[in-house]
Amino acid sequence: MLRNANLQDLRKKIGGMIDQRVRAITAGLGLNELRALVRGEPPTEKPNPRYKVHTTSFLFHIRPRYYEKGSTIFAHTFRLGFFTSFFFFVEVITGLILMVYYTPSPSEAYNSILKLMTNVPFGQMLRDIHRLGAEGMVIFTVLHMLRTYLTGSYKKERSFTWLTGLVLLGITLVLSFSGYLLPWDQLAYWAVTIGTSMFEAAPLIGNELNLLARGAPDIAANGLLRFYLLHVVLLPFAAVLVISIHYYKVSREHGISLPAKFVEGEVPPAVTKEAKTRVDFLPDLLTHEVFLTALGLFALVLGVTIFGYHAPLESVANPQVTPLDTKAPWYFWWLQGMLKLGDKTLMGIILPTIIVAILVGLPYIDRNPHRSLYKRPLAVAVGVLAVLALVVLSYMGLPEFGIKTSAATRIVQDLAPQEGAGPVHKIPFTQLQAGVYEINQTPTRNLCPDIDYGCPELESVFGSYTQWVNAAVERGDLPDGTGVMLIEDWQQDLKKVTFRIIWEEDNLAKTYEHHLFLHQDRGSE
Amino acid sequence: MSRVNIEIFLGILLVLITSSLVLVYGINEEERMAEYSAWEKARSIEVGAELFSAQCSRCHGTQGLGIQGLCPPLNDRNFFDSRLVEVAWSGTLEDYIVSTVSSGRLASTRPQLYPGEGTPAMPSFHENYGGPLREDQVRNIAAFILNWEETAQLIEVATGPVEDAVGTDITVELPEGDAVNGEALAVSIGCAACHIQAPTGPAWLADSGQVGIGERAAQRIADPDYTGNAQTAEQYLLESIVMSGVYLVPDYQDLMPNNYGETLAKQDVADLIAYMLTLK
Repeated sequence: MLRNANLQDLRKKIGGMIDQRVRAITAGLGLNELRALVRGEPPTEKPNPRYKVHTTSFLFHIRPRYYEKGSTIFAHTFRLGFFTSFFFFVEVITGLILMVYYTPSPSEAYNSILKLMTNVPFGQMLRDIHRLGAEGMVIFTVLHMLRTYLTGSYKKERSFTWLTGLVLLGITLVLSFSGYLLPWDQLAYWAVTIGTSMFEAAPLIGNELNLLARGAPDIAANGLLRFYLLHVVLLPFAAVLVISIHYYKVSREHGISLPAKFVEGEVPPAVTKEAKTRVDFLPDLLTHEVFLTALGLFALVLGVTIFGYHAPLESVANPQVTPLDTKAPWYFWWLQGMLKLGDKTLMGIILPTIIVAILVGLPYIDRNPHRSLYKRPLAVAVGVLAVLALVVLSYMGLPEFGIKTSAATRIVQDLAPQEGAGPVHKIPFTQLQAGVYEINQTPTRNLCPDIDYGCPELESVFGSYTQWVNAAVERGDLPDGTGVMLIEDWQQDLKKVTFRIIWEEDNLAKTYEHHLFLHQDRGSE
Repeated sequence: MSRVNIEIFLGILLVLITSSLVLVYGINEEERMAEYSAWEKARSIEVGAELFSAQCSRCHGTQGLGIQGLCPPLNDRNFFDSRLVEVAWSGTLEDYIVSTVSSGRLASTRPQLYPGEGTPAMPSFHENYGGPLREDQVRNIAAFILNWEETAQLIEVATGPVEDAVGTDITVELPEGDAVNGEALAVSIGCAACHIQAPTGPAWLADSGQVGIGERAAQRIADPDYTGNAQTAEQYLLESIVMSGVYLVPDYQDLMPNNYGETLAKQDVADLIAYMLTLK
């Protein structure tokens, strides 16, 4: 008896001590309560200890106690805001690790990326995730804004939240763009050179702005350091601050907007009441967020492994060589498209400023009190038109649109682009049989009788070359034109390929010649 | 099961799948890094080849075989096997190349054989020393040159007058030539350094729009602009070898060594001419 009683006492005592520790760590939840929580069961104590967590724990204090049930419907928010912040956290964490390996100087930056790729286990994966996360952040920010626009959630008391959201959109775009320069490759260097040259078009202070961004008339050590500091210090801090404000407004002040169908027009009181039922943060919202986080991480890892998304890396930045097809990051293609339509100051500075002003003033311009799509036909029409305009302008921003390249240059660039891998780079090394291949002289079939399986890739490249040159001759772009493809054994494991196109212009023979060297280990990038 | 249960279950499942994906990816990391290193080296050689053609080939030859009386061969067994000992260099061959390319040479180390272009014998190429290239470009050139290591052959250097030298009289009677031996000589003497492609010397081989040197030699003597004394194709070729300055093909400078008359034997010249005449 006595011994039993003692044991029971002891168990109770130890149990009590453990419970106390657990309560200290979980900011007030006991063992039993914790168990009930992860099982999705109702609270075990009264008053509800789950609310206490929100007052005692800092991290829970900044989260809401509940959302209204109607606002948590998936098709209302699509969790776009959540994923935007998810990507921001991914960027911060991967970015911090990447900083360990990075040196912001023109002589070292590109090397440090190469070292990351060749010497750091999971280095490539980190870089890929950071890049994919950046794209995701831009996409989800834009979609989040579009959703807010379509559900009319920027109106009345939420107009300040809309403004902070616009600031965040700007920060996101500049964050992403400033990261563009850091690898210091051709892609980075020229995209940012073109981007910063936009400042020049600003009236009065254009030159000064440009100088401020680049740190010198051309981007070099100073410019790189500025973009680096912008990317890793100023903008992340600004983002954290504005995200906090934006989020505070949502979680503490006005919550997520309810879908218009629950609050506008003749809605039965029971339905409104049901929509306003509280969904507690603990455990419902928290488990949902952890689940979404797992989903997001899964998607990112899937993207960089099975789907093979890789952050691009071109050859090292060379201020002396402007690549043929330079383009801005995709989220600025619309701006490039606009620039093709008119004056740089008008299209590059004045119009974008007006667009931003309209977005900022939207809650005041749109005086329609309704939020339902059916009661805002004008706003919806404007929104759809704006999206269409963005898509069309983006298409016009592509280098394929409206930029004339000489026919010979175009043909060779399409076969063997200066950057990245073209058809020529994809020819297996063994198929690069030394020889002279003349258009309309050398047959395009059976080029390599000495190879057992022939050389289909080489034949296909020579075939395209023949076809394109002949087509250009027919169009009249290359009068009397002909071409030759030379392959030479240049060194051990190294071939030299020469494309030479000869045509007549104003009774003069013109020649375009392009050499490239191909090494066996280049593989298929 | 409540929504909380389902989400916890699915979440754990996703975390497990994600972790295994990362693990499986990790197994291949060593190989991926090795592959990327090989790719990077290949790119370096490709870029180096372009830079070599643009910056170095004029003097060291398109294939790095050197030009006698001007610049030493680099695609040469000696360069890889004994050059470092010769100059008592303490670092690696790559260091030696990078250092030489970067800062150039004020004076030639072998002024009798390869005086270079005077003073400096070789210009500096690194931007830090007044040249046009960045550090990474200099290293690319070194990678390209080092890629000759396995295939480089011994380039024989004709050090002085030989017996039975051919002399500078182009009417001299030459022995029967052997074209096969001539082809080997074209490489070992260094002709191929310049005459494979057009930038330094006229190319020997037929190329689009131009016949081979054998055919050209015969056509040239009939050309009204021709200023030399040759009556036959053989004489024209001999004249071009031993007295290259007598007639220059338009657009070319006289960069050829002017002592072949003393350093080449009659038989060698005969072989060379026999080889050239086969290039139609």
